[in-house]
Amino acid sequence: MSAPKHVEPVGEAPLHGLLAEYDSPETLKKAAEKIRNAGFKNWDTFTPFPVHGIDQAMGIRPTILPWLILGGGMTGCALALGFQWWANGVDYPFLISGKPYWSVPANIPITFELTVLFSALTAVFGMLGLNKLPQPAHPLDLSERFSRSTDDHFYLLVQASDPVFDEKETGTLLETSGAIGVEAIPEDVKSESHVPRGLQYALLIITAAATIPFALSAYARESKMTHTRFDIVPDMDFQQKFKAQRENTFFADKRADRPQIEGTIAYGELNEDDHFYRGKVNGVFARTFPAQVPIDEQTIARGQQRFGIYCTPCHGQAGEGDGMVNQRASALAEGTWVPPSNLNDDRLRQMGVGEIFNTITNGVRNMPAYGPQIPTADRWAIILYVRAIQRSHKAAVADLSAEERASLK
Amino acid sequence: MRRAKLNMAHDNHVQLDDNIQIGSEATDFGKKAFGIGGVALVLALVLGGGPFGREFLIAYLVAFMYSLAIGLGLLWFVTIQHLTNAKWSVVVRRVAEIIAANMSVLAVLSLFLIVPALMGNSTLYAWVDPAKVAADRVLKHKAGYLNIPFFAIRCVVYFGFWWLLSRHFLKRSVEQDTSGKAEINTKLQTLAAPSMIAFALTLTFATIDFVMSLDPGFFSTIFGVYYFGGAVACAYSFLALSLMWLQGKGRLLNSVNREHYHDLGKMMFAFGVVFWSYIAFSQFMLIWYGDVPEETHWFHDRFQGDWKIVSGALLACHFVIPFFGLLSRYVKRNRKTLAFWAFWILVIEYVDLYWLVMPTFGEDVIPSVLSLLVHLLAWVGVGGLFIGAAASRTKGLNLIPTKDPRLAASLAFENP
Repeated sequence: MSAPKHVEPVGEAPLHGLLAEYDSPETLKKAAEKIRNAGFKNWDTFTPFPVHGIDQAMGIRPTILPWLILGGGMTGCALALGFQWWANGVDYPFLISGKPYWSVPANIPITFELTVLFSALTAVFGMLGLNKLPQPAHPLDLSERFSRSTDDHFYLLVQASDPVFDEKETGTLLETSGAIGVEAIPEDVKSESHVPRGLQYALLIITAAATIPFALSAYARESKMTHTRFDIVPDMDFQQKFKAQRENTFFADKRADRPQIEGTIAYGELNEDDHFYRGKVNGVFARTFPAQVPIDEQTIARGQQRFGIYCTPCHGQAGEGDGMVNQRASALAEGTWVPPSNLNDDRLRQMGVGEIFNTITNGVRNMPAYGPQIPTADRWAIILYVRAIQRSHKAAVADLSAEERASLK
Repeated sequence: MRRAKLNMAHDNHVQLDDNIQIGSEATDFGKKAFGIGGVALVLALVLGGGPFGREFLIAYLVAFMYSLAIGLGLLWFVTIQHLTNAKWSVVVRRVAEIIAANMSVLAVLSLFLIVPALMGNSTLYAWVDPAKVAADRVLKHKAGYLNIPFFAIRCVVYFGFWWLLSRHFLKRSVEQDTSGKAEINTKLQTLAAPSMIAFALTLTFATIDFVMSLDPGFFSTIFGVYYFGGAVACAYSFLALSLMWLQGKGRLLNSVNREHYHDLGKMMFAFGVVFWSYIAFSQFMLIWYGDVPEETHWFHDRFQGDWKIVSGALLACHFVIPFFGLLSRYVKRNRKTLAFWAFWILVIEYVDLYWLVMPTFGEDVIPSVLSLLVHLLAWVGVGGLFIGAAASRTKGLNLIPTKDPRLAASLAFENP
């Protein structure tokens, strides 16, 4: 705010209102009650700090701001939920760890944030709006007397625009209200009433610039790249290193990743036992478990646990090919889905353990290779558990204990 | 506010125009509550199968954690008022100090839970039984923490600390009523800082020991905070209702006004509705998306059968309904509406604790009429003894710290 300017005589500028000055909050409150009771509408008080009870003295009705904030918060809440529902459940359904496409718990953090954000923004801008801020200029800025309103004096302004306002009567009313002085405030005819031109241009440029990212996004959605993109950070886009599966002119074969040198084996990867590591005996898939796999309850339990982690998403808890992934993929009905095998099929019951081991290790159809993920011994443990499942599906009476047999009679 | 501050600097001694002692009205009420509580507890023991009876122990655990929540919540309230040098709360602080000072009673009542555990009775806690520990990999793994001697030591630390702290706060505060020494505030503020850290740790581990270890396979690091949220909400609700009861008896009429109730209401809203929900959801969401069987089974138990309805009811009655109910300023400033929501929070907190404990034992929502009766009796029993002791403790004490230097500011307190 600029320093107080010279005040023109009242005669030239129209009257804005009458300003009364008080030296304590108590006298101000009493005066406010007087003005309130006289039925004025366009008037206000100015104090250097919040004065308790001034709202009642002025007869100010409770603000509607809380309701606006509630509305803002509910809007944010509905918008967040609605948009996530549309994006996750309708526009781009994408399966994430077997959960429903539109999963409310996952939406809560964003819903919470947007509710808070919208409430807060409504509070700030609602407060500014209800207070008619920002005001670039106000006639009171020109009053020398008014400068103590941020220090230690208290003021009351009645505007000339008020229907009950009468320069003489109102002046007398204020003078008898305990004021230590009353001053006529002229309208501010000098200061520009609108936003300064420079600021207008700045706002215009900022607004225009703010649309650029959106325009670029819209362009990117609709266009196909035909040229190299613009590299903003070249040394991040082109790093001084060799990446796997890339060309490298240093070597004669121009491959960045080097093949294993013939006749060598990496440390700890000898794996010469064909039965254990490849499920083969004499070049044919084995029909027996290798000696390294103990056939006992502990191994089955280990297999059950690993099966639960790696196999159930597709093959289901009982190996019937009804896992969560299959259920969801089938529900999408895209036509390209190859359903996982039912492990209890006769084909798989008769398949040798070596071949099953090979399937787990290297994958088959659209089942990926699990060799890199599951240690060898665990793969065998899983097969042992699969055998247990298969047996449980066609259990013979001889498999039951005496007690269980008795309960069936 | 400004004037009150200026006055305070010159004059520590405010002329109180109020009835600030309750006398025999409270002690008579205390005796009655004590009697009813005692009878209810005996009946709960008889109907619930004695001190080692499964029905009794489960019901007693819920009831005990409930009264403990009020006590601990108020102890936390007193601690944080000193820690932050709070002015608004001085007129309500003494009542909180008096109720919180009954940690001794709660310590004695906790023996019903601790002694059977120490004797190796595994009705509640599987980890006290060596045979069960030997048979379970998880229990074996956790035996370094969940074992009887260490549990006994922890219980002594928990209740010892809470007892000493609450007693000290009340004692020093009462001492100020006669001596008027302002430095008592400074000393209590210094004490409050480390006490707050110790309080957080003891509350967290006590919740883990008494409630979370019912299901030793489950673990959630936020579990203590969850109990804390409910406890603080209960404490503010109970404090508001206690003050209304005192005012109904003609006490504190000129000291405690709607400004103070408004603040209590804000805290009820903050802790009982928002904080509790925030913590409850944080706990749920991490387990939900992590989807690890060791953790999910705990919620799975609570989303089965009728428990699903209770879980939904908690969401509605601990969050959605009171959120809109307590949101408005007018509701918090009106004594009747505030009393309604205080009751609401106290009821729903019981449901919350019931929901924490019961599904772990594989129980239905209402296993039997007898079980419900034992729960009710245990709740009345522990609550009656706790309230009775609190009411008796008012004897000869001022209900306001009359010479606290911040009293003038508290009396003149106005919400902006």
